[in-house]
Amino acid sequence: MVDERDLTGKNGVETAYFRRFSRWKLLLIILMAALMLTIFLSLNVGFAQIPFHTVLWILVKRVPFLGSLVGSPNVSYVEETIIMQIRMPRVLAGALVGAALAAAGVVYQGIFKNPMADSYILGVSAGAAVGASLAIVLGIGFTFFGLSTVPIAAFASSIIAVFVVYNISRVGSRVPVTTLLLSGIAVSIFLSAIVAVLQVVAGGKLHVIVFWLMGGFSYVEWRDVWAVLPLVCFGTVATYFFARDLNILSLGEETAQHLGVDVEKVKKLLLILGSLVTAAAVSISGLIGFVGLIIPHITRILIGPDHRILLPTSTIIGSTFLVICDAVARVIVSPVELPVGVITALSGGPFFIYLLRKKKESYTV
Amino acid sequence: MNLKYFNYVTSLIAIFSVVSAVYIYAHYEGQIAGMHSTISNLQNEVANLRTQLYKYRNLTLVDDHGYVLNLTSYPERIVSLAPSNTEILFAVQAGGKVVGVTNQCNYPHNFSAWIKAGNLTSVGDYWTPNIEAIVALKPDLIFAAFAQDEVVNILRGLGYKVLVLAPDNVDDILKNILLVGRATDRDVEAAILVNNLRRRIDAVVSKVSGVTSKPKVYYEVWYDPIWSVGSEGWENELLVKAGGINVFADQEINYFEASSEAIIQRNPDIIILPLGHGTGPPFWGSFDQVKARPGWDAIKAVQNDRLYTIDADIMSRPGPRIVDALEILAKIIHPELF
Repeated sequence: MVDERDLTGKNGVETAYFRRFSRWKLLLIILMAALMLTIFLSLNVGFAQIPFHTVLWILVKRVPFLGSLVGSPNVSYVEETIIMQIRMPRVLAGALVGAALAAAGVVYQGIFKNPMADSYILGVSAGAAVGASLAIVLGIGFTFFGLSTVPIAAFASSIIAVFVVYNISRVGSRVPVTTLLLSGIAVSIFLSAIVAVLQVVAGGKLHVIVFWLMGGFSYVEWRDVWAVLPLVCFGTVATYFFARDLNILSLGEETAQHLGVDVEKVKKLLLILGSLVTAAAVSISGLIGFVGLIIPHITRILIGPDHRILLPTSTIIGSTFLVICDAVARVIVSPVELPVGVITALSGGPFFIYLLRKKKESYTV
Repeated sequence: MNLKYFNYVTSLIAIFSVVSAVYIYAHYEGQIAGMHSTISNLQNEVANLRTQLYKYRNLTLVDDHGYVLNLTSYPERIVSLAPSNTEILFAVQAGGKVVGVTNQCNYPHNFSAWIKAGNLTSVGDYWTPNIEAIVALKPDLIFAAFAQDEVVNILRGLGYKVLVLAPDNVDDILKNILLVGRATDRDVEAAILVNNLRRRIDAVVSKVSGVTSKPKVYYEVWYDPIWSVGSEGWENELLVKAGGINVFADQEINYFEASSEAIIQRNPDIIILPLGHGTGPPFWGSFDQVKARPGWDAIKAVQNDRLYTIDADIMSRPGPRIVDALEILAKIIHPELF
């Protein structure tokens, strides 16, 4: 990779770059801190009323050194179970899924240069839905190497769906984005029809499929978090290394090719990364719409289209947003929980429209 | 009479009686206190013996999913994750130990009022129970139901005792009542209840056993889309035991989406529509609307005006009230016998 400084050599540009770079660093640190704070605060939110200091004790207790300093405060087993076994995994799952969907959304919108592209564009959601519904209807065992069959089936089938979409659109070694987009939509529609068939034959298990399709974190466990953590972390971090390529790709594939970007290779790698993180996310959360579509747009309006900063900020904002939405979903009509997708659309939609109205003249993907 | 010493003697007597009264009181007070302590000692002894006995509780229970639960204590805080489970728990007199129910539980008491008054806690909806709400109740036994595998797995993973009641037929339902009785230390109550239920079932079955004609019955679970019952599940069994034939007995599934055409073609003699899916008018409208469905005028039940309703709760909940449903169905199907 060629450093900008070598190309310019001009002092003014150089200082401008460093100024911008340090501003980005500050922005990322602030956003990261906001995410941590959101995670901590959302641990305090739930059906059971657990005092703030108890939550703090439970967390501090687990920190080495600090834990032995505070001694053993009086925390009941139930409170500890609720915080560490029920709320913690779901909050972390929310953070991971939000990060994955937002990052994949940025990547897909960058590759397709299409504002309608989201993390589900390649049929990941429909594939996952077929796998999950099938696992629910057949009720295959209930665990598989310690993991439930539903997330595994969802993950596997969404990867298969993306693979099929990719191969349908492949022309020799090239993958034209328009074909990719259309075959993604076609395969999604086809798979959705299969899900409809499975719903009809599900009998008494229909509601399980319906709630899976609506998405949510009600029944997330630690093992689910551990299962997707490596994939999501690796995937989202890896996309960051393609930020410059995505910037150049926004000038058009041909121009990018002339500027020395191996367009087909970059596209392929990014499609794989995006699909992997989305599939991992969807497998534990079900279908949560909106995050992968709107969060990249909101971030782009707020921060600008440069992928070097857009990718990480969008990832962190997506993460924070979903953690907040999940917290709202679990208390708004407690003890009943609303599907998270409802909250994401209800809260993010109007905000996005507001930003769009404000910025409409200057906004492009 | 010499009254010279009168005051003197009376004062002496008074003093003497007061002193002796105090002495006697103190004496017996001690004894009474002793008796009290003996009684409380005995009570402690009994309590100890009970806990000793309770310690030796070692009950192995198997639920409908084949899960083996070893129960070594007497549950005092029970959570029910389904209306049917709640009905069974209250029917075997274990209702006093129930601390959590779902929003759909509405029998035998007005539980939503109890929840509002703070006497009971809701754990959310039957189809999506709230894990946190369940755990916060510190339950020592949880009764789950159909299609709650996810919740059940998580709760068992956290170390909670969970029994799944997911019966396929009437026999399973009766067995489950006994199982709940065993688990909650209400064996006798459950046995009496099940005996009673069996007697009532047998009475209906023997009454309809002599009938020569078995009317074809269509039972509607939902309209638009139309859902009915196949041969799996107790609804079909109830229709058969009540002396009827389910028009969809050939469908090997519990609930399924049926077509209007198939119903017209199978031409039921009797149409039974459920009541009580929430408040408001029934989802199928009125009898006139049902009769006016396109092509339904060709159905015998419509021509002979044999449309009936039944409380969906008693029909579809695998609890003790299915026997009520059976008796109502028998009256609908064979009015000449009852």
